[in-house]
Amino acid sequence: MFSHLVVAASLDTGDMLFYALCFILLMWLLKVVAWKPVNKMMQDRADKISNDIDSAEQSREEAAQLAQQRQKALANSRQEATSIVDSAKKQGQQQRDGILAQAQTDAQSLKENAQKDIEQERQDALSSVRNDVADLSIEIASKIIQKELSADDQKALIDSYIEGLGKQHES
Amino acid sequence: MGDPSSVATFQIGGLTFNTANVISGLIAFVLVFLFVFALSRHLTMKPGRGQNVIEWLIDFTNGILKGSIPGNETGAFGLYGFTLFLFLFVSNQLGLFIQIAVGGKDFVRSPTSDPIVTMTFSLATLMLAQFAGVSKLGWKKHFSGYLKPFVFWLPISIFEEFTNFLTLGLRIFGVIYSGEMLLKIIGGMAFSHGIATFIVAIPLEMLWQGFSAFLGAIQAFVFVTLSSVYISRKLEVE
Repeated sequence: MFSHLVVAASLDTGDMLFYALCFILLMWLLKVVAWKPVNKMMQDRADKISNDIDSAEQSREEAAQLAQQRQKALANSRQEATSIVDSAKKQGQQQRDGILAQAQTDAQSLKENAQKDIEQERQDALSSVRNDVADLSIEIASKIIQKELSADDQKALIDSYIEGLGKQHES
Repeated sequence: MGDPSSVATFQIGGLTFNTANVISGLIAFVLVFLFVFALSRHLTMKPGRGQNVIEWLIDFTNGILKGSIPGNETGAFGLYGFTLFLFLFVSNQLGLFIQIAVGGKDFVRSPTSDPIVTMTFSLATLMLAQFAGVSKLGWKKHFSGYLKPFVFWLPISIFEEFTNFLTLGLRIFGVIYSGEMLLKIIGGMAFSHGIATFIVAIPLEMLWQGFSAFLGAIQAFVFVTLSSVYISRKLEVE
C-alpha cells in the first residue's frame, strides 16, 4: 500500500501532463467566461459608486449654495420691502405737508383777496353813496326850491340875486 | 484504493495515465467550469444572486492573495488563485460524495487523494513563483537570492525549495487521502455484520463526511494561501 507513496516507483507522468493541460485550459475558460467580465463589472461598479459619491457631494454643495442664495434673496427682498414702505411713508408725509402748506397759503391769499375786495366794495359803496347823497340832496333841494318858488318868491329871488350882484359890484 | 493495483492504467505515447485520475479530474474540471459558467450569466451593474456568489468568490481568493502578495501584483496571480481554489475545493469534496469502483478498481474519487495530482499543482505553484521572481527582479537578482545571507547557504536554499514543493503537495494529499480512507473503512464496517453495524456506522459516516468536507475546504484555502506566500517570497528582495 505504501509503495504508492514512493512517487518515483510508479510515476504517472501522463497524469501530470493531463492535469497541467486541463488546468491551463480551465484557467483560460474561466478567464473568458467569468474572470474578465466579472472583474470588469466590479470595476465599473466601483467607478460608478465613486462617481455617484462625487456627484452626490456636488449636488449637496449646489443645494447648499441654492439655499444660501435663497436666504440672501429673502433677506434682500425683506429689506427692499421695508425700504419701499419707508420711502412711501416719507413721500406721503412730504406730499401731505406740501398739500397742507399749499392749502394754507391758498386760504391765506383767498382771505386777503376777499378782505381787499370787501374793502374795495365798501369804498366804492361809500363813494357812490356819497355821490348819491349829494345828488339826492341836490335833487331834493331843487325839488323843494322848485315847489316853493312861486312868482313872488321868484321875483324876490331874482331881486336878491340882482341885489347881490349890485353889492358884489360895489365891493 | 491507494494500492497501485486498485487503479486501472493505460498508456499513450509512452506516458502512463491513471484512469481514475483522468476521469475524476475531468469531472472536477467540468464541474468547476459549469459552476462558474452558471454563476456568471447575466452580469449586471446591480448583482443578482449568482453574480453575488461569484463576486464573493473572486473577492475571497483575491483576499487570500492580497494577504501575502504586496501591492498591485495580485492582479497577475488572481486568476491562478481563483481557479486553483475552486478546482482544489471541488476535487476535495468530489470523493466525499461520489466514489465509483468497478471490479475492485477505482474510477471516480477525489483527484487530490493521489499525490501525483497534488504534486503537479505544488510544482506548478513553485514554478510560477520562480517565473514571477525572474520576471520581476531579473535572472541575476532572482538567483542571487539563493546566496543570501551568505554563499554557503545555497544548498539550504535549494533544499528549502524542494521541501516547499513536497510539503505543499503532500499536506493536501495526506488530509484528503486519509479522509477518504476512513470513509471507506467506515463504509466497509457498515456492511460487515448486518443491520447492527449499519446503524452504528451511519452517524459515524455522516460525522466524518462533514468533517472531511470542512477539511477539504480548509485544505483548498491553505493550499492557495501557501501558494501566495511562496510566490510573494520570490517577488521581494530579501
